[in-house]
Amino acid sequence: MESSLLFNLATLAYLAAMVLYVAFLVLKKENVGKSASVLAYAGLAVQTVALIMRWAESYQMGIGRVPLSNLYESLVFFTWCTVLIYVVVEWKYKTRAFGAFVMPVAFMALAFINVAGISNDITPLVPALKSNWLLYHVLLSFISYATFGVAFAVSIIYLLQDTEERGSAGYLAAALGISTVLIVLGYVLNSAGMKVQFWMGLGILAMVWFTYMVVKGALSRPQVYLFITFCTTLASGMLIFMGIDFLIFKMLHQTSAADDGFRKHMFESTFISNSIPVIAISWAGVLALFAVIWSSGLKIKVMLKQFLPAQEILDDLNYRMIAIGWPLFTAGGLVMGAIWANSAWGTYWGWDPKETWSLITWFVYSIYLHARYVRGWKGTQMAVISSIGFLSVIFTYLGVNLVLSGLHSYGGMN
Amino acid sequence: METKGQQGIVEVVSEKIWKFFASVKLAVVLLIILAAVSIVGTVIQQNQAPEDYLREYSQSTIDLFESIGLFDLYHTWWFVLLLLLFTANLTICTLDRFPSAWKAIRAPLRPMSEEGFKALPCKKELTIKGSTEEAEAVVIRALSSGRYKYALSKEQGMTHIASQRGAYSRLGVYITHVSILLIFTGAIIGAFFGFKGFLNLPEGEASSVVYLRNEPIWDKIMDGFGISKSQVILDPRIGVPAMPLGYYVRCDNFEVDYYTNQGRPTGMPSEYWSQLSVFDMERQKVLDKRIRVNDPLTHHGITFYQSSYGTIPNASGKVVLTVKMKNSADAGEKVVAELDGTVYVPSIDRTIRILGVSPYGVRDPMSGQIQYYRSQNGEFVNPVVELEVLRGSKPVYRTQVMKVDPGEPSMPENYTISYSDYWGARYTGLQVTKDPGVLVVYSGFILLCIGPIIAFFGSHRKIWVRLQDRKGQTAVMAGGSSNRNRIGFEREFAGIFEKIAK
Ligand code: HEM
Repeated sequence: MESSLLFNLATLAYLAAMVLYVAFLVLKKENVGKSASVLAYAGLAVQTVALIMRWAESYQMGIGRVPLSNLYESLVFFTWCTVLIYVVVEWKYKTRAFGAFVMPVAFMALAFINVAGISNDITPLVPALKSNWLLYHVLLSFISYATFGVAFAVSIIYLLQDTEERGSAGYLAAALGISTVLIVLGYVLNSAGMKVQFWMGLGILAMVWFTYMVVKGALSRPQVYLFITFCTTLASGMLIFMGIDFLIFKMLHQTSAADDGFRKHMFESTFISNSIPVIAISWAGVLALFAVIWSSGLKIKVMLKQFLPAQEILDDLNYRMIAIGWPLFTAGGLVMGAIWANSAWGTYWGWDPKETWSLITWFVYSIYLHARYVRGWKGTQMAVISSIGFLSVIFTYLGVNLVLSGLHSYGGMN
Repeated sequence: METKGQQGIVEVVSEKIWKFFASVKLAVVLLIILAAVSIVGTVIQQNQAPEDYLREYSQSTIDLFESIGLFDLYHTWWFVLLLLLFTANLTICTLDRFPSAWKAIRAPLRPMSEEGFKALPCKKELTIKGSTEEAEAVVIRALSSGRYKYALSKEQGMTHIASQRGAYSRLGVYITHVSILLIFTGAIIGAFFGFKGFLNLPEGEASSVVYLRNEPIWDKIMDGFGISKSQVILDPRIGVPAMPLGYYVRCDNFEVDYYTNQGRPTGMPSEYWSQLSVFDMERQKVLDKRIRVNDPLTHHGITFYQSSYGTIPNASGKVVLTVKMKNSADAGEKVVAELDGTVYVPSIDRTIRILGVSPYGVRDPMSGQIQYYRSQNGEFVNPVVELEVLRGSKPVYRTQVMKVDPGEPSMPENYTISYSDYWGARYTGLQVTKDPGVLVVYSGFILLCIGPIIAFFGSHRKIWVRLQDRKGQTAVMAGGSSNRNRIGFEREFAGIFEKIAK
């Protein structure tokens, strides 16, 4: 398959672009920035060709379908949309400052494919998936995910700019203390067979914190800083550890069609391993990630300072991305998904976990839209809500399949 | 809402309630609560069998969860109550704001007062050559080129031009809100007057009832009050409530196609379909349709979806073969034989005996050998029919024919026998629903797709211009505002102003 080769080329181009965008922030050399952009455009062009070729290849194989229907293809399409939207933003807002933030998202998604060894076979579709509604549904959903992704990057930058200091070490100590208690509690409950209760409790706590952040966020900058650190650690940590798990799982089981089995053993090679040292190392890894993000955030802020448009423009860009993404997600993610389900099974809404999580994501961004009309909710809170929204997007997309069905030891949803 | 003078307690309270439900803060709070509760429902699996729950939780946890309805969370009274609160919030909020929005849309264009001008977020001034009349023409041209509608008025030697664009875009938000209400309404209509059911129909059999998962709520209520009898019947054999259809539906044929790899079926279904016929109660055929996944049959408001299939345990079907003369262009003759039975075919003067059927065999095209596989649940992935051909009662030869054959079966005489179907040992699993609310829901969907686009990409923009004569020159003062997308408006305003300045 020649398309795989091109996908790899695109991945390399994005990697190089990412490095150059970061170098641009550090070195502040116009030429570096220009070559970063050129690489990003080139990567996008190559990936576009690769997508079309993969489409054609599926016809040659007699399967004939749009390349959008498995994890591999959807991740590839997601990166494609993200880079495309980024390129448009770079061009319209005439700033390369976001590159160092958006490119890693694209590169990490592609790297996740390679590290996790997600199969890139062109597989035939089960009958229920043969529907044009499904195609539009997936297509529009992923475009909207990409706009939410860009909004996420913008929000993080906004919050970073918003922060003057990390706050006293007390905040960090309190956060780490609470996390430690939670983690220990998690293991105790887990060994008592109360996994679900633990996750529920954790979810509720996170919700309470997020809500607090949204309502009070503007008042306490150090909390905001903690929040960004937490969000970025969560987003990158989830991808990294899932990748590690998948790798080890594959080494142990030597199977390629391991998607299903993997779910049941999710995090067993890291956070819920039988060996205490492994658990300890895993958490140390998370802590290290947290520490790196925590300590380098303000440095990045200093670097960014001269490249960034004014905060109002960032806030406006955040809103615009969501104003594009939300209607697309509504029409594509919810409405077309519902129409497809109705034509396949006669129910447009069934409250299954994937549907419900899309709805939750939709609620979060609906909250974003309405919060603008609630007095006193300004840039900071909006950026916080937007970040929560994207965490919810990641969970809807990956977490529901990987974490939720793994929670139930007998597996197998649907 | 505003009553002057004496206010009764009823007015005060109802105004308080109205204010409470009209607040956007409440909407945000309700959305947060709905999101949080929905998360719980995705962490705890819903509607599982009791033994599955026992594997996950202790008995005391199960009792606790059961008592607050966490195993069927989305249908508990309190979740429905939350949805109703949200609906009330949405309705009242919309009613509360719509009149003023409508006023803003319909308001006639008026000149802007001096103070108003000062307060505008966007304003510019300059002096241009030429009379006021000439300037007026220039301004109007500039505004019209931006698709602004204007109104002109003159007072005290000053010319006022008021103009606006996109007033109706203010409706976008209301279209969006109404669409959500429509979807809820449709869902309620569906739950009250529709049902969800299923029917496992063996090939060749007909049914005039379907088995229910959800009974129509309206029927239940009416039955509960003794007003009218529910149509639902309880079939004591099955113990599941059943809904009469008012007609018969029969499965004439059911077939699964499998993906092939180098001509060999892989066991992964590519498509499955049922040939269904509908008969009225007098057993007159009304219509038939071949349904597939994603392509259902609808009759009298009831829709039959292809959802699953299976093999009937211990059932033996019939083998359908096609006999055709070699070198002949016609379709051949269909013969039907029981398993272990024989059938005489006059056109070739032979008797065919069926020796056996195996569910999954693949022929090696080189050697002609057949490899047999075990299939999941005894599914007929690629049935192989072992048969013997007799002249009178004397065996002539034996051969095997199969559904998808990458090779050639041996056919020593001047006709061929080929596999057509193995019929009667399978059932088709149909999902059957009646949902009279679905059209309402879909119209809500359409509005939900349109409304936000108008809301986000339209904006109500106003530009006011005043012209004053300054001894053969004209002083132009322009200002404007937009209800959203201020940056876009500022750019447009600057463009229009530039046109005036030229
Ligand atoms: C899930 C249900 C809802 C959806 C999908 C929805 C959708 C929307 C959308 C798309 C907008 C435009 C936002 C913008 O332009 O940034 C909007 C505005 C608004 N919504 Fe909602 N809404 C919902 C529920 C509610 C509820 C329950 C309330 C009740 C308080 C409400 C009150 C408002 C208000 C006051 C505005 C601003 C109107 C304006 O621009 O003047 N919404 N809504």
